[in-house]
Order: sequence, then structure tokens, then C-alpha cells
Amino acid sequence: MEVSTLPISASHRGKLISSGYTSLSSLSSVSPSRLAQDLKISENEAVEILKVVSRRSGSEKIENGNHAIMNGAQTAWDMLHEEESSVCITTSCSDLDVILGGGIHCKEVTEIGGVPGIGKTQLGIQLAVNVQIPSGYGGLGGKAIYIDTEGSFMVERALQIAEACAQDMLEYDNLLRKDSQACRVIKQPKAFLENIFYFRVCTYTEQIAVINYLEKFISEQKDVKVVIVDSITFHFRQDFEDMALRTRLLGGMALKLMKLAKQFKLAVVLLNQVTTKYKEGSFQLTLALGDSWSHASTNRIILHWNGDERYAYLDKSPSLQSASAPYAVTGKGIRNAAPNCKRVKLM
Amino acid sequence: MANKLISEMGLPRSMANVFIARNIVTAKDALSLSEFELMEVLDVGLEEVTRAVAHISEISCPPYQTALSLLEQRNQNEYLAGHLPTRLKGLDAALFGGIPFGVVTELVGPAGIGKTQFCLKLALLASLPTSYGGLGGRVIYVDVESKFSSKRMIEMGLSSFPEIFHMEGLAQEMAGRILVLQPASLSEFTESLQHIKVSLLQHNVKLLIIDSMAALASGEYGLAPPKHHPLGWHISFIKSLAECYRIPVVVTNQVRSQSRDEASRYLFQEQSRAETIEDPPNFNSHLVAALGIHWAHAVTIRLVLEFRSGQRVIKIAKSSISPSMGFCFNITSSGVSLLDDEGVEMMGPEANTISWEGHIGIINYE
Amino acid sequence: MIESQCRPQFNGLELLEDAQLNKRILSTGCERIDLLLQGGLRVGHVTELAGPSSSGKTQVCLKVASHVARKYSGTVMYFDSGNSFSPKRIVQFLTQESDPANTEVDEIVQRVMSSIVCYSIFDIFTLLDMLHQLMNNLKSEIGCNVRMLIIDSLSSLIAPVLGGGGAHGHALMVTAGFLLKELAHEHNLSIVVTNHMVAGEAGSSKPALGDSWKSIPHVRLLLHRYRATNDSCISILKHPYLQNCITVPRALNL
Repeated sequence: MEVSTLPISASHRGKLISSGYTSLSSLSSVSPSRLAQDLKISENEAVEILKVVSRRSGSEKIENGNHAIMNGAQTAWDMLHEEESSVCITTSCSDLDVILGGGIHCKEVTEIGGVPGIGKTQLGIQLAVNVQIPSGYGGLGGKAIYIDTEGSFMVERALQIAEACAQDMLEYDNLLRKDSQACRVIKQPKAFLENIFYFRVCTYTEQIAVINYLEKFISEQKDVKVVIVDSITFHFRQDFEDMALRTRLLGGMALKLMKLAKQFKLAVVLLNQVTTKYKEGSFQLTLALGDSWSHASTNRIILHWNGDERYAYLDKSPSLQSASAPYAVTGKGIRNAAPNCKRVKLM
Repeated sequence: MANKLISEMGLPRSMANVFIARNIVTAKDALSLSEFELMEVLDVGLEEVTRAVAHISEISCPPYQTALSLLEQRNQNEYLAGHLPTRLKGLDAALFGGIPFGVVTELVGPAGIGKTQFCLKLALLASLPTSYGGLGGRVIYVDVESKFSSKRMIEMGLSSFPEIFHMEGLAQEMAGRILVLQPASLSEFTESLQHIKVSLLQHNVKLLIIDSMAALASGEYGLAPPKHHPLGWHISFIKSLAECYRIPVVVTNQVRSQSRDEASRYLFQEQSRAETIEDPPNFNSHLVAALGIHWAHAVTIRLVLEFRSGQRVIKIAKSSISPSMGFCFNITSSGVSLLDDEGVEMMGPEANTISWEGHIGIINYE
Repeated sequence: MIESQCRPQFNGLELLEDAQLNKRILSTGCERIDLLLQGGLRVGHVTELAGPSSSGKTQVCLKVASHVARKYSGTVMYFDSGNSFSPKRIVQFLTQESDPANTEVDEIVQRVMSSIVCYSIFDIFTLLDMLHQLMNNLKSEIGCNVRMLIIDSLSSLIAPVLGGGGAHGHALMVTAGFLLKELAHEHNLSIVVTNHMVAGEAGSSKPALGDSWKSIPHVRLLLHRYRATNDSCISILKHPYLQNCITVPRALNL
């Protein structure tokens, strides 16, 4: 029954079937008023049903050209060009940028996980500042949305990081002796803070609400290029007796975030906590939220200690090899680790 | 926000009625179901559901602020931009002012190290009138193990602020501002949290101290903690109290011995052993903070107190602003005092380990 | 349609060449996987790739897409639900396969990349819409000859509608499955879908989507990656006529 999988209400589905409209073709040439009559529903409802049907049967305009068979499709060739001209968000640690292929990518969802104190929030705040670096300095010149579920966002720290970033930009100017006024964009540290939209979320309901609302918010704001959720885990680790529900909600959230990233060409960064798991004979550290969440991101980075150093390990990426890079958390934010430690290591 | 009623959200009448007819009354009820489930439950098409959910989400979404307005608010409204100074110069400098408002600060260390002393001093400092550099407000002290001693607090007061304390009646007034609660069980504590919330608003409470959180949890659950975090709700609630009322919340935590099963490595680390630096076997570092990794994620600032080579040390183990610094200290008549304001920078994960060397104390085992 | 029982006494390579010549089998581009599957991916089959995160499912999909688009004329459709389709990686695969002396590599890359069409899909109803549209287009022969459809990952689109109170989610899954089989069979497509893992009994893992899904794909493969050696291994969970096949380790660089 082709109509049984249409995204319409169960009773409408039932009515269609009992009135003999079991296939899409049977609905292709019926008028709304006729349908309304047959099904004993309002004409508005009939119009809605026919809209859904036409979308399903693809009678909307088919894209011209040999290869774009369906609306909205892109060839890999076009995508390649788009990708080549896209800019990443730098992490301010060049070693980390290298293993990430330039930095955090737009149109992708990147998950970053680690133990408490390793620097997840630090990296989140650094990205919220770095996304605003103007294009003259190789950045995106965009705005940031910071969704704080744990209360870990410290605005004084954001100011510190912004000051360091502004300082770096000034030094870059001096280094390259950019005298032309057009290139010189003097950004005050506080201006960075103005472009970070901060949402404090206290329950999982609010978390879902914010993520649903983002589509409208971003269409109105424009220029948002990164959405950071710190952390995606917190409200889903407690109070959930129904694990199956949790899996469904998380799955739905993951898809919405993917869609957001693609639709608005922005980067989504999800910070995750760790938990222990019994695997392959011993207890292991692993990112929280379980097996079904682990596929919800395009990229995954695990921050961990190796001896005295902080390292970032690229665990999942569609185009890059797994690799590790050291980084440091300094007064200025995330930076390269001290020179005498091991460099980028490919696994 | 989660409990906002759907009937009051301005949805089109027909849609609102459908929700209510199916007993979906609050935003939480609606958003706990996926759009697909809502379609089935409400017997409505997908597009309508999507519109309704978008509307509900917009209304129940918490308001946003720019980080700049957040900063300006703090600077304008709060004492020292939201910090309670501990009067330990080195520590205050590293913490950019002191114990921050609005977040949970944890003190963890073995028994007898000085956690309660530290808490008593903080309570004193918060109750000092603002003219003397205090917060001039009330303090709620949740004393689980009956360690609170007003005598000791007055001794600290006399020792640190002799000129104030000799003033007629001031000492009593300040003591009167400290409300001590002694819950006998976790469930009693849970109940009293609700009362605390009310008091926070009504009685100008400026500091909340819980000494100790671990004792509450272990008392109730005996040997094996249940699978899902028993303190999960409390963690969220306490954090929200800190944030909503913009007060510092200080919680003390105990230590326990590290079990052999304790995980410290990821799968990818296990399998590439050659490249990872083995943590040197350290006979002294068999202690970890109680309450587990979930709690550790939830606190914003963690101060670790420990014995190291016979010396008491206080370290900043987790803080988004401060580097990992450690300071040697002693317990004196005026509370806790640092031996040296300079402090020592702690490298690596050392900041998080708790060493215990030769102290005759009772360590709680879970 | 399905030939006689495959007997292992044939030389694997002979079988491979024979099957591929018939164009009823599409080579995956990895010799070892082709050997495991005795030729490659069969036209008319729905093949499922299941495995834990980072086991290489997307990599296999990208490799197959690049190889099939290159070797066989026609379009490869790629439905991506995780923003994981990487054009850069496809270029890497194509340049790897080409002879370095070949000056026409750029042309090849352009031709091949232009015949891989990628579509981002984030919910099951859109998936059903797209499958129907594809069916209609193929029926009325609009557009290019489609050889292969890859859905990465199908499970992330279906999992959110499974469970809960009603059985409608299951119905959608089964309908989608039958639609895939119909597409494959009627229009001579080879279809590859990916599936993630969920916790099974006693700490083990099993492919997601449950028991009702098990009977839908013709071939089910399980991937696993050993991080120490960076080798991956593929084993056959289900196949119409291949059974108990050995697992074949392969390096991730494909």
C-alpha cells in the first residue's frame, strides 16, 4: 500500500485506503474538492494530503541537466569545488589543525570528548572566538552559538581568549606590515563577546527545544558559522529510566544537527563526557551516550592525557587518517604544546 | 521552562486541543516524543506536527544573551565580578578573585586534611559585613557529619579579624547568620533542598556549603552504588541553585581507594601501547575522589587537598580559568593559611591525583 | 536468477573474472572484498554493511562509489545522512587507482566525479520520497543510467522511528526495505546500505534495526577494525549461497 507510508495522520491513511485510494497514481489526478468529498474531510486537509503525495511521487519539477536526477542533489564534482573553497575554523593549535585537515570543518558535525579537566570547554570557547576571525586573516568572520548545558561557560575566560586572539591578529598585522587600511580590521576583544550567542539550558526538554529553535534563529541572525553544545551529554545521563526513549531522542537530535550543519553550511561541535565500559575483557574509557550515538557525528576527536601532555586523537573522519597531536591550554587559550614534546603522530 | 503549559503557548486552538486531548500538557511531554511519535499519538500529519513542535520549542527555549551582556551584567551587579575571596592571596589570584559565584566548587581530600576548616572559614567570610570585605549575607551550612563547630569559627574570627570580633554583638550577629542543617539521610537532604531553594530567595543567602556530599551518598547506598547515578538529580539541582541565585556553592568530597578495575585508558590507547607513556606506578596515588566521574564532570572548580612529603597542599585541579597551581598550607588558629603565595605549577594529570603519604587518618573505602 | 551452489574448488580469480564479465557483479575496488564475495556486489542485491563506529563502513562506501563510477558507465547515487560524503576522499581513491604516468587523470576524475550524485537525507519520509522518485525516473527512463545506490547510513534514518508505542515505525522500515529490493531487482541496481551496532546480550554487539530487518538485505556483511594494526576485517553474516566464509583482513588504506 503506497499510501501507508505517507507522512500523514493515521486516520487519513485509513480513510484513503478505505476509499480505494491505495496507490500514488490513483491520487495523481484527483482534485482537492473531490478528495475532500470522498474522504469526508475539509478541503484544506485534502490540499495538504495532495501536497504530500506530489512530493512523494516527485511530480515537482525535476532538475535539468544530465546528472542531477533529483531535486537538491549535487554531483561529487561540484561538491569538490565547494569543499576546496571552504574555510575551516582554526583551533589556534597548528598541530591540531594539521591532523584535522585545517581545523573544524563547516557542514560537518564534530564530536569532542574527554575526561573532566582535559580542556573541552576551553576548546569550545576557543572555537567560539576563532570563528569570528575576519576573512582577511584567513577566518570565517562568522558568529557563534554556545549552548551551555552544564554552566561551564565562564565569561571571564572567553574575554581572556578574545583578548589573546585580538593580540594575535595585531601581531600578524605588524608582521606582515599590512599598511593598507582596507585589510586592517581592528577587533576589540569585547566585540568578540558580542557575537557569541549564549543559551543556558537546564533540562533535556530545553536542550531539545533550543536545537529545534535553532533553525529559525539562524535564518534570522545569518552569519552564524558554529554551534557549540557543551555538553551534549549532561542532561541525558541522569533521569532517564527509559533508555529506548533516550536513544530515539538522541537519534532525532543528531539528525537535526546534521541537517542544520548542511543547510546553513556551519560547523556543529558537540562536547561529550566520558564513561567507563566493560569491553573486550576490561574496563575502558569511552565516550558517553552509548553505541547508538557513536555514529551521530561526522568526525570524532578524543582529548586525553599522555604522560604529562594533553593530546587530541582523531578517532573518526571520512577523509582523514587517525592521528594524534599534542596541544596545551594556556592563559591565552588553546595553543601548541611546548616544543620539546612529541609531534604529530599518524597512527 | 520545561513545565510550560501547551495551552498557554499560543498554538492554534485546534492544535492545542489535540495535545490536551491526548494528555500532552507540558512542553516536556511534547518534546519527549519524537515528531514521528507525535504524529501517531495526535493523529496529525507530519507538517502540522513540525510546525507545532517548532512553535513549542521557540516558546520553551530559554532566552539567549550575548556573552558581552553576560559580562556586563556580572560586572555591574556583583561583588568583585562574582567572586568570594578566600583571603589566601595566592589562591585568590589564581582563581581570579576567589570562589566564583554561580558554579559549584568542590573540595576533595582525605579526612583530616582541612576541608571542614576551609569551609568554616568561607562561611565566616561570607557572613562578614560588606564593609569589612565579606558578602554580608546568610550562609546555609549542610553539616552531614556533625563537624560544624561554632566555637572554632569564633576562634577563627577572633584570630583573623580581631578588631571586628571584639566589637560588641557583631560576633553573635554573624554567628546568627549561619544556618546549620544536619540531615540524617539522603532523603532528608533531598527534602531540605527544596526548603533551601525557598530560603535562598527569602533570606539573602550568599553561600551554600555542603560538607560532605560523599557522606550523604555512601550512607544511603552502602557498598555498591546503583547503576544510574544516585546523585544525578541532586547534581543538577544544586548547580541550578548556584546559577539562578548567583551564589557560590562549595561541596566537599571524600576519597576512596582506587579499585583495580578503574579505567584510565581508551580503547585506542590500549591497542597502541608502544606510543603511550605509561603512568609511573605510584604507590601513594591509590586514592581517587569519591562520587565518580559523573560528579567530576558536573563540578566547575575542583580544589584538591592532599599530603605531599609531609606537607599539606591545596591544588587547583579543575578550573577553566586558572592554571593547575598548588600551594602549601597549614591549619592555624585563623583557619587555613598559605605558606607561600607563589605556588607551584602542577604538570599534567598530577593535578588530579590525590596522594596520601604517611598520614594517620581514616580513609573511607566504598 | 541465483546460479547453482558455489563450490570452492573453482579458482577464486577465475570466478571473479567470469562474474565480472557478465556485468551482473560489480567489483568493489578492493580485491580482497571481491574475493570474499566471489566477484563483488551483485546487481539486483541489497547488501548491508554493519559495524561499530569507525570500522570503515563509510570508507568502503566511498571506495565502492569511486570504483563503480569509474569502471562501469552510469551514475552512482549516494544518499548521505551523516554529512560524511567526502569528495576529497573519492579523488584520493581515483588517483590511487590510476597509473601515475597517465596524463588524463584529471579528466578521469572529472568524468567520474560528475557521475556520482550525492543527496543529503535526514529523515525517513524524505528517504521514501527520494526512493519513489528514483523509481519513477528509472521507470520512465529519465536521466542517466543508475548503476548503484548507496545509503550511508540507513540505520540512522530508521532508528528514530523504531520503538515507541506503535508498530508504524516497523512498517515504514519494512516498506523501505521492500522498496530497496524492488529497485534493485526491477532496475538492475546494486544497493549498499550501512547499519550501526547496538548492545546485544551479555555485553556483545549486534547490528541495529532488529529482527524484522534481518531478512531484507540479500547479503549482510560485518566490519570490524583492529586499532593496533589498523587492519579491518569483513565477515559474512548472511548470503544467499556463500556460507561460513573466512574473514579477510584488509588494511584500511584500501
